[in-house]
Amino acid sequence: MADHHVIIDNLVKTYPGAQKPSVDHVSFSLPRGEMLALLGPSGCGKTTILRMIAGLIAPTSGAIRLDGEDVSSIAVYKRNMGMVFQAYALFPHMTIARNISFGLEMRKVGRAEREERVRKALDLVKLTGLGDRKVSQLSGGQQQRAAIARSLVIEPELLLLDEPLSNLDAKLRDEMRDEIRDIQARTGVTAIFVTHDQDEALSMADRLAVMSAGRLEQIGTPREIFDRPQTEFVASFIGAGTVFEGKVTEHGLAMVEDLKELRFVGDAPLGSPVKLMIRPHRLRLLTDAGQPNRFSGTVEHIVYRGQTLTLNVRCGSRLLQADLPTHAGMLPERGSTVTLSVAPEDVTLVGQVSP
Amino acid sequence: MSAAATAPTATSSTSAASRGILLMLLLPGLVALVITFLLPLIWLLRASFASSTMSAFGGGDLTTQSYSTVLFDPFYWRVTWNTLVLGFNVAIFAVVLSYPIALFLARTESRFRGVLTALAVAPLLTSSVVRTYGWMVILGDRGVINSTLQSLSVTSGVIKLTNNSFGATVALIEILMPYAILAMLSGFGRLNAQLEEAAAMLGANRFKVFTRIILPLSLPGVLTAALLVFVLAISSFVTPRLMGGGRVFVLGTEVFNEATVTLNWPLAAALSVMLLVLFSSIILLYQRALRALEA
Repeated sequence: MADHHVIIDNLVKTYPGAQKPSVDHVSFSLPRGEMLALLGPSGCGKTTILRMIAGLIAPTSGAIRLDGEDVSSIAVYKRNMGMVFQAYALFPHMTIARNISFGLEMRKVGRAEREERVRKALDLVKLTGLGDRKVSQLSGGQQQRAAIARSLVIEPELLLLDEPLSNLDAKLRDEMRDEIRDIQARTGVTAIFVTHDQDEALSMADRLAVMSAGRLEQIGTPREIFDRPQTEFVASFIGAGTVFEGKVTEHGLAMVEDLKELRFVGDAPLGSPVKLMIRPHRLRLLTDAGQPNRFSGTVEHIVYRGQTLTLNVRCGSRLLQADLPTHAGMLPERGSTVTLSVAPEDVTLVGQVSP
Repeated sequence: MSAAATAPTATSSTSAASRGILLMLLLPGLVALVITFLLPLIWLLRASFASSTMSAFGGGDLTTQSYSTVLFDPFYWRVTWNTLVLGFNVAIFAVVLSYPIALFLARTESRFRGVLTALAVAPLLTSSVVRTYGWMVILGDRGVINSTLQSLSVTSGVIKLTNNSFGATVALIEILMPYAILAMLSGFGRLNAQLEEAAAMLGANRFKVFTRIILPLSLPGVLTAALLVFVLAISSFVTPRLMGGGRVFVLGTEVFNEATVTLNWPLAAALSVMLLVLFSSIILLYQRALRALEA
């Protein structure tokens, strides 16, 4: 931790006149070359953190360390960080090449070297030969690439991206997602990006920091966040799932009102109330009668989605959503009774119920 | 963005019927323009070629005599020159003084922004005659400035601040500043706080952000304001007349003199046409400059 490239230490931001802090004692760190996603619903403080790291707003308290040095009092224009803005913020009165070269001019890089580095940056983001274009002559995706080139050409200590894909249409978004990941990996730059889109965060980031109401809920790899959410907020924010409340009756077994008994993997003291979550795509139509965690119910609703079939199955008073892979011969009907099962390893313990 | 994208398809698909409705909607405005603008302009042109005031609106011989007076009499050369100098001075100072105010109003996030904008343009609510008299009180021979300087024994005699082009210029600058502020505010559309942040992230300090980002992006607004103030200044009459005390000769005051004192309407008309030619050439220059800026 201490030798990490970027360390965010107990960062707090309280806006004047605000009752609660927008960012409440948030700490995390990144090793060199890592890509971290700050994920959360709008208003959770993720953009505020990004802007504090950038130096665009001053933190109320806390430190931002780059290679051990606190930069939180260094002026924004001396921080040497690259930022890609949500709306790209390309300078409309300059060509693409001039936009990219702007940071180099500010650093008093000689003309010949500037041209060489701008050319390389254009190559890096696959805009070769488009340097003379005006900003308005570029498509949204191209503007995005130009903005990335502009922030990388100065060889920043840290690359910050604010909702980088939110202004692109769905198809371009998938393309740029891989592209950004690829560029980041090739340049080896440490990067932090802000998003409210869980798919984006899961697919692009090495690690995710999930935020809610100014606080850091959980930080971990995409797999840890998805499979082992530590709080109910993380469980419900990342992916779909049905949460059941129950009471632990023996190790790894809880009594749940609508499903009777539910086996799970995880540590919870005997007799304690727990919340358990079942993800729709981890449910299976029962084939083997000997399995634990079997629930029978009536199919209330069917949605055919091509690759999967979404069933809403009524189990007692609860609706259990199941996403099942489609195959020939699997044709459950509305009103029919089906039996579903889930492996105990796929039942997620998301938290204790406060008594 | 989306509105601009859908507009062409909407017009191309309009039928003859809806084009008829469009014409009908334009008609009242067009009729008003023809009556209040086009016809008087034609009468003005006709009057400028008349041989006497009596035949200004019909009859009599047509002659270019008024134009030869305007074009070849050195007095009118000087009047035209005075007008241009006054216009340039007023435009430059009004724009320079209004720029910080307009920039502040465009960028502030204060909740008093609306009030402050209203205050900045509030002088427009007062007649420019009243505001000119105000300046006479300040700049006059026994005005605030002269009496203060004398009572402090800084000067013994009177410093001539009115009844000359200095007084006219100062008063016009202040009177036209609200127009400059309004024109700049509407022309600062390309200014955007995020562009300034982006420049700062790339290593630009405040001075560089201003010279490289804010100033170039605000130039269209500055140009529009300068044009507006220039046009209003060269066509102004009341302020040069009152502040000039009859000693400042510009096209506006001369048109008034010829039309009401000398009663030489053809000459007044020819001088007005001269003013129109000045306007048009300035507007052409402005459009050239704007296009160059946007390219």
